Amino acid sequence: MADKILSGIPVSTGIAIGKAFFVNRNHKAHLPRHTVSAAMMDAEVARLHDAFAAVEAELTAIREQVPADLRDYGLLIDTHVLMLKDPKLSGVAEEYIRTLGLNCAWALEKAVADQEAAFGAVHDPYIRERMQDVRVVADKVQAKLIGRETDLTAIPGRVIIMAHDLTPADTVEIQVSRIMGFATVRGGKTSHTGIMARSMGIPALVGVDMLEDVVHDGDLVVIDGLTGKIVVNPTEAELEDYNERAAHFEDYTLKIKRGCQLPAETYDGSRVQVLANIELVEEIPAALDNGAEGVGLYRTEYAYLNRTDLPGEDELAEKYIDLAAILSPRKVVFRTLDLGADKFISAFGELNETNPAMGLRAIRFCLRNPELFKSQLRAILRASAYGNVSLMFPMISGVKEVRQAKAWLAQAKAELRREGVDFNPEMPVGIMIELPSAVMIADFLAREVDFFSIGTNDLIQYSIGVDRTNHHVSYLYQPLHPATLRTIKLVVDAAHQAGIEVSLCGEVASDPFCVPILLGMGIDSLSLTPQAIPGIKRIIRQTNMHDCRKLLRKVLECRTVSRINGLVMDNIFKSFPDEVTFFSSLLENDESPS
Amino acid sequence: MTETNQSTVGEQGEYLSRQVVVANEHGLHARPAGKLAQRAQGFAAQIRIVLDEQEVDAKSILDVLTLAAGPGDVLEIRATGADAAQAVEALETLFHKRFND
Repeated sequence: MADKILSGIPVSTGIAIGKAFFVNRNHKAHLPRHTVSAAMMDAEVARLHDAFAAVEAELTAIREQVPADLRDYGLLIDTHVLMLKDPKLSGVAEEYIRTLGLNCAWALEKAVADQEAAFGAVHDPYIRERMQDVRVVADKVQAKLIGRETDLTAIPGRVIIMAHDLTPADTVEIQVSRIMGFATVRGGKTSHTGIMARSMGIPALVGVDMLEDVVHDGDLVVIDGLTGKIVVNPTEAELEDYNERAAHFEDYTLKIKRGCQLPAETYDGSRVQVLANIELVEEIPAALDNGAEGVGLYRTEYAYLNRTDLPGEDELAEKYIDLAAILSPRKVVFRTLDLGADKFISAFGELNETNPAMGLRAIRFCLRNPELFKSQLRAILRASAYGNVSLMFPMISGVKEVRQAKAWLAQAKAELRREGVDFNPEMPVGIMIELPSAVMIADFLAREVDFFSIGTNDLIQYSIGVDRTNHHVSYLYQPLHPATLRTIKLVVDAAHQAGIEVSLCGEVASDPFCVPILLGMGIDSLSLTPQAIPGIKRIIRQTNMHDCRKLLRKVLECRTVSRINGLVMDNIFKSFPDEVTFFSSLLENDESPS
Repeated sequence: MTETNQSTVGEQGEYLSRQVVVANEHGLHARPAGKLAQRAQGFAAQIRIVLDEQEVDAKSILDVLTLAAGPGDVLEIRATGADAAQAVEALETLFHKRFND
């Protein structure tokens, strides 16, 4: 038997076998704890203060780069710097080194624990939550002390990455060629680790409890992204079995890949456009290889992550022009900056919001920071002269917001015209439908824009009121909830009545179990992770619209998710047995809370 | 509320003290606590903030935060050392201006 078999949530298919390599460990659980001799105390204290000073210098440098309009963020860094200077952290830790002889990492942890006790005794929940800031600051110092700062650019050999958590910024920094798979303790079905892993075409599991306790650096592990298992130090027989299954899966992927350049057309002649969701120009070759007909969602925020300053217009324009020119005449849809919530935290520190998912993010953040927004709009407009470029605004909640965003676009156009810079004056402008409010006024919104794109990840999250990265409630994230289906249908119908096209760019578009229903609704295009395109094209090419409409009619009459899932499963079992063997579906969320 | 400025002899020797009222809508949350600690760090004097039974170091943002002083709370600033009078004055001004919050 293997040393141990752990379970997690599979978020990217495939099987990887390799050595485990830890990044972003939860420092608290793995701190070195030893005592130091009296002779070494001064050196230990000096090491402690050096680490504090180094983090302070880093934060101060970041602080200087913060634009004036991001005032709140600047103030937050000020608070963190003050905490670093606070005698209650470094001073108390020094005392623990000198009086108890603790090593500096342990001494700091003890000082933090004192603060935890002090904050824990406070009744005011706002103040209690400030302990998170103490933790953030202390973690930065700890990482310096134990030399475990994540240097994702220096990963040795080909490894399977293990982490407490991976931020979008981390996953971007990782050298793709060296990673065979991911496993993290945190995260849910549609967390960014999964999205990134799928776009890299490697298996990944999230929500793996005990990962940090059981797996050690250098252990041989099997990541089974098909069943959600991690096998630690497998036996010869187990290894052989997994090798065989990996080969079988590879055969299947090769088989579906052969037909992926054919058009996505049903038996009875209905055409659907199949596009790719990407975040990096480097992903284009893989997307086209997998049969993408263009890019339906270019996530622009990654150019803003992993850096302490903001990219300038010229830098963005250069990137966007490359993208438009490489893809031309195929289309590329730029989604304007979708920062905020989790994506802001990793790049700039934590935005001090009690509920960031509903706070200053996406279009709201852009409208609040018009200079930053306009530099992006100008860059996208400049790229529109070089290819088939569209743009869309994320997280629109009402008509006024669209008009405000379009007003900034008009101003950017006027400026470029005055400066004699080329752009496409007819560049299509769309919005993402991600909020229930946008769904309910989809008919009004359809008159304001050239197309809709339904972002199901957020739409389902906001409709059902479930945080999709919270593994306690992620079972409620149900793409085929009757409400989700009615929601999507309402949007498609409103768009078509207004004569505009509607695309779907969430995870649901990559789910073979959901696609026939979307076809039945008459969706014009699907935009999905490149890795999933061959499988989805195969589904589309082996079905017909008549059956899809019939299935849709049936599911729209169902009152419960389980009934709908049952119908959809039956349909897939009958027509696509391979998909049942290899694909994990979002429908598997239909479980009771454990 | 009238502030009183007086010299008192306590356990830690003689200190200057003055009473102030927290006038901020949300009390001494992160931003005012930060400003208070930062201002206090500019003085050589030892400065303590007292609320009911609790007494904390005014130079520590963490200490000030865990005091969890709410709007309307009456605090006492206590300072000892060469520039104690200036320190008390400066901190009192911060409270008066509601930390420009």
